Amino acid sequence: MVLYDSATLGGSCSGSSSSSSSSKPPPLQQRQQTQQDIDGLLAGAGYRVRSSELRKVAQRLERLETAMVNSPADLSQLASDTIHYNPSDLASWVDSLLSEFTQPPTCPSEFIMDPETNQTVVSDAWTTAEPHMPQVHQNISYQQQSLNNQLTVDNQLTVVTAMEEDSGIRLVHMLMTCAECVQRGDFSLATSCLEDMQGLLTRVNTVCGIGKVAGHFIDALSRRIFQGIGGGSINGGSAYENEILYHHFYEACPYLKFAHFTANQAILEAFDGHDCVHVVDFNLMHGLQWPALIQALALRPGGPPLLRLTGIGPPSPDGRDSLREIGLRLAELARSVNVRFAFRGVAASRLEDVKPWMLQVNPKESVAVNSIMQLHRLLGSDLNRNSPIETVLSWIRSLNPKIMTVVEQEANHNQPGFLDRFTEALHYYSTMFDSLEACTVQPNKALAEIYIQREIANVVSCEGSARVERHEPLSKWRTRLSGAGFRPLHLGSNAYKQASMLLTLFSAEGYSVEENDGCLTLGWHSRPLIAASAWQAVSDGTADFPA
Amino acid sequence: MVQNHRREDHETGGENKEKRPKFFINDHVDILIEILERLDGRSLCVAASVCRLWCTIARNDSLWEKLCFRHVSPPPSSVRSVVLALGGYKRLYTGCVRPVRSRLGRVRRASWARDEVQLSLSLFCVDYYERLGGSNSNGRLVEKSSPSSLMFLCKPVNV
Repeated sequence: MVLYDSATLGGSCSGSSSSSSSSKPPPLQQRQQTQQDIDGLLAGAGYRVRSSELRKVAQRLERLETAMVNSPADLSQLASDTIHYNPSDLASWVDSLLSEFTQPPTCPSEFIMDPETNQTVVSDAWTTAEPHMPQVHQNISYQQQSLNNQLTVDNQLTVVTAMEEDSGIRLVHMLMTCAECVQRGDFSLATSCLEDMQGLLTRVNTVCGIGKVAGHFIDALSRRIFQGIGGGSINGGSAYENEILYHHFYEACPYLKFAHFTANQAILEAFDGHDCVHVVDFNLMHGLQWPALIQALALRPGGPPLLRLTGIGPPSPDGRDSLREIGLRLAELARSVNVRFAFRGVAASRLEDVKPWMLQVNPKESVAVNSIMQLHRLLGSDLNRNSPIETVLSWIRSLNPKIMTVVEQEANHNQPGFLDRFTEALHYYSTMFDSLEACTVQPNKALAEIYIQREIANVVSCEGSARVERHEPLSKWRTRLSGAGFRPLHLGSNAYKQASMLLTLFSAEGYSVEENDGCLTLGWHSRPLIAASAWQAVSDGTADFPA
Repeated sequence: MVQNHRREDHETGGENKEKRPKFFINDHVDILIEILERLDGRSLCVAASVCRLWCTIARNDSLWEKLCFRHVSPPPSSVRSVVLALGGYKRLYTGCVRPVRSRLGRVRRASWARDEVQLSLSLFCVDYYERLGGSNSNGRLVEKSSPSSLMFLCKPVNV
């Protein structure tokens, strides 16, 4: 029996553990002993391995070597993300490294046949991961899950077995079935579907991939079924929370940066030669878009203009004037770079409550209107009054802006049929989560996911006035804006060049910028996810207003 | 005592003019600056640890300005006041220009050199703005102590 062990060990040892092969005979005899001695020869080299585990470690090292050779060039995350506890403890160190790689479906063979007892032995390191998985899945509140357990979740196995892939596909099918039941109004069947899906989730890895997205959609569906379509808790997030989530979304992935830089470039080009300019921002948040514009205006040939910025944002509770604070910060920056600057804040909880007189536009100045993912909120139709989008578009037009920059999600989430909307949202947000996987910056990633999760919940579980995430694709916006009296402005090669450079800076290789008839879209692997366009009011008043 | 004499002989031998170096770079600061101007960023930082004189010179922002605009035609004079207001050229180089150049270097196109600097400037400005927020906050924006919009430049890049 000892000879058998030494032969298999010799066969399975990879080059890196060659020192262990020379130490085979003495430690294996110690295997008979109950005491687990640290292997003497390896200890001399600085590694602590229990003699009984030498065989396991050697096999794992071999597997690690093949994984490193075959993995899709993802090795840098080993350097940055993994917490390597105590490399001298060779067994657990190799295990922690191995858990970083997606293993091919060889899970059953991981169970090592212990030749002495002829029993299946699963090593300690693997079993520590297993109990975590059911714990993660049975907790239904995914929001808290992603925040609290981020660290444990990251160190879990990311093993995708054939069984899991099958479960993933089944999960998608069940999601569609459940959505169809909801559309039909068959809530009892939908509820049983939900329970089945939650059971299925325990067998799917929810750290990444379809499991994670499915978890959010299941959450949204259960919210719709059990809490109704009012969407209270989702839309009730405070403005402060929203700003924080928005900020982390800004930093985790390039979509907002792309939006800001592209819009700024278009505004900069439109303001060329004008000395008195006024920018109206439909959603100020932390004002992250404007420092770059202020700096670009400061350095433009001919000197900076007088810049006025009007920021629209939700009213802040408890007396704090957050809009004014942001305005003060921007003013300080503008002062440092010698740009004459004036700020005005307009507090409004909904965009349709804003009236043009609040903006105090001077007729002699050039106006730019900037809307980053705000116009789609106006698409909810209330039959009692004029549709808000038309009201807002008409007063924008009355301001006669030099340019209106519109950035919107490139998705069709405003279809009347629930199932179509659900299907489209599933595809869209799966792609978006895939692109987030490339982000390695914590805690941005977790909070960015919560930001996206809120969008998902709003698209799926709300209706009527509560549903504000009514995304429409670029083609529909083109029709709508042309019909409201705007003509498109081409974004130009400078914007395209800047966007391409910005994306190259992001480490993930999957992002792509495309030009779409004068508009720029940013997407992940040829699926556009966000579209930026620029518009100008048609000067004569002959445009048709839809009735 | 004999040994002492020998040592003194050595010292006098050392003070012999043929053995003393004729040229000591620290006596010629203008040449030193010319040389340091041509170093890359990392070497310049290392040079700052050589001695006090080198440290003073290497910390001079104009050296870093030349480094930022290497390979690019000299910018208009207005750029300098803006960059100094936002934190200086050394910070601009180490925080933005160097990571931008190294990442874009893999897909380097000749026409991008100036745009790289412009993009770096924009990112630098956003970073300054965030630093403003961090220092002025009354605790509200305190989560931003670690995240910064430049963090994506600091993380290692997947090749």
